[in-house]
Amino acid sequence: MATDVLVVGGGAAGIAAAVVAARSGCSVTLIDSSPTVGGQYYRGAEPPDSGSGLSYEALRRAFDELVDAARIDRRLHTYAYALERRDGGFLLRTRGDDRHRGDVGEVEASAVVIATGAFDRQLPFPGWTLPGVMSGGGAQALVKGSGVLPGQRIVVAGTGPFLLAVAHALISAGGNVAAVVEANDPLGLARHTRSVLPAAGKSADLARFLAALAKKRVPYLRRHRVRRATGNGRLESVTVSRVGDDWQAIPGTERLLECDALAIGYGFTAQTDLAGQVGARMRIGSDDGLAIEVDARQRTSVDGLLAAGETTGIGGVDLARMEGLIAGVAAVEHCGRRAALSERAIDRGMRDVVKLRGFADALHATFPVRDGWRDDVDDTTLVCRCEEVSAAKVRSAVNDLGARDARSVKLLTRAGMGWCQGRVCAPAVDGLCGFDSAASLIGGSYRPVAVPVPLGAIASDRMSP
Amino acid sequence: MSDKAAKRPGSAGSTAAPAEFSFDGTPYRAIEGQTIAAALIEHGIVAWRRTRVNDQPRGILCGIGVCFDCLITVNGEPNVRACMARVEPGDDVRSQEGTGYGD
Ligand SMILES: Cc1cc2nc3c(=O)[nH]c(=O)nc-3n(C[C@H](O)[C@H](O)[C@H](O)COP(=O)(O)OP(=O)(O)OC[C@H]3O[C@@H](n4cnc5c(N)ncnc54)[C@H](O)[C@@H]3O)c2cc1C
Ligand code: FES
Repeated sequence: MATDVLVVGGGAAGIAAAVVAARSGCSVTLIDSSPTVGGQYYRGAEPPDSGSGLSYEALRRAFDELVDAARIDRRLHTYAYALERRDGGFLLRTRGDDRHRGDVGEVEASAVVIATGAFDRQLPFPGWTLPGVMSGGGAQALVKGSGVLPGQRIVVAGTGPFLLAVAHALISAGGNVAAVVEANDPLGLARHTRSVLPAAGKSADLARFLAALAKKRVPYLRRHRVRRATGNGRLESVTVSRVGDDWQAIPGTERLLECDALAIGYGFTAQTDLAGQVGARMRIGSDDGLAIEVDARQRTSVDGLLAAGETTGIGGVDLARMEGLIAGVAAVEHCGRRAALSERAIDRGMRDVVKLRGFADALHATFPVRDGWRDDVDDTTLVCRCEEVSAAKVRSAVNDLGARDARSVKLLTRAGMGWCQGRVCAPAVDGLCGFDSAASLIGGSYRPVAVPVPLGAIASDRMSP
Repeated sequence: MSDKAAKRPGSAGSTAAPAEFSFDGTPYRAIEGQTIAAALIEHGIVAWRRTRVNDQPRGILCGIGVCFDCLITVNGEPNVRACMARVEPGDDVRSQEGTGYGD
């Protein structure tokens, strides 16, 4: 049975889009791989009674009511793995979670909103495969989702204001944070006051996080980078150095931090796979990562395909929600209906998107990834964790075998051919080989399935009428 | 950027029920709603897979289902992402060898 609007992803962006579409009289299906909606920021938290208008809390309550009234078909534990064009609309193929991998299904829809979010961007360093080393978002998921601390003594590292959010969450849960290691200089943000001022609420959050660190006397090591992790079978310590403008380590500044958990991340990578499968145009965001290109109404280059939230460029949870609202409006209009949101509200929403996008750009300019990380990647450091491909092999593919793009490196070394389909190692391969070009990123990003599907399940599904 | 504390299974005042499971034959207790990875990490277990080529230990990396580093065998089914699957009472969880192409 076809639905008017199909929303993939139930984070802030997806919930906003689904509520607008359902309130406008469209039939709506929302799918999410998790057991709850809320996405990476809100997780399964029940919305408080506070919050009105177009706040997340109010939208989330509206979402739950629309689900109860059977106006939104909410499918949890469901992965979207392939999107196709079908009869002027779309066909999405789904499967169950890992305990129900064989439960495949299909959803047909007139309009699709891609709201699949992002994941932490990693850069390799010696020891990064040691158990205990995990992404900042992974640590956040442990503590916010399961109420478990990642270790007894935790170092938070990488770059970006998200590190402060992670450290704050860990401290609030009673965690012992040894240090926050930030490769850039956050004071650079002051240079962008024009774009920062409109997002005063965000700056207040950051100030609150910094105050929490100071209260617990957690050092915030700016212009420092984790150079290696060591331990016998599991993480025991990390070595950090002060770094220069290009992130090259300054000799004589090395120090050892004992820890059993490292929460690390260098920004985020958008989950663009499903849009890529139907040929939506991509762009390179101000964080040098891949993003789905959209216009002011969140429309992609594919008619009827909308995108919102981190998938259109990393920008945080408030931007995700505003983009979701606008994408919901565009989806409704694509279905030939009038949106239940006033013109004024839509205009204000689009202005908020521009403002918040400006703030995100200022953050990305302040917290870029610089080349110095490559200096520490020695020959034995694994670049591709899945296929266990070393940096020596990746470099040799370029220097000795003449590879000129990520695809050739993959064919020559198997880097990017494992279970994660190169999601984790793509920035590392591009960086180590000097392929930072948009062409390499865009060319290397096509993935025919977004999550592995048992072959038997697909075959039996395709054979049934 | 804020991180309003979520109502989470392990937090104080939680009414979530305990769930017994076993890992490599040893019984452990988790709280219902916790992921298998979280439950293991809470008990100090940070690795549950050994890699195919170099025979190295692995646990979680991304924590949200993207990297597939955390694969584990649950009730005989290999290659379950421990960071995504929630503990269910009576689960027989086992460490796994290899990258899980059925080897
Ligand atoms: C692990 C992690 C933790 C984070 N924690 C914070 C934080 O504490 N504070 C903060 O300010 N920012 C945090 N962020 C940044 C976060 O990306 C944004 O703040 C916000 O969550 C973006 O909202 P969104 O709706 O765009 O995406 P998300 O909230 O990421 O929602 C996307 C949803 O899509 C679902 N999904 C993805 N792919 C598929 C698929 N193929 N099939 C079905 N469903 C799918 C996911 O399960 C998820 O629920 C975190 C990011 C990550 C990756
Ligand atoms: S830790 Fe990445 S998939 Fe589980």
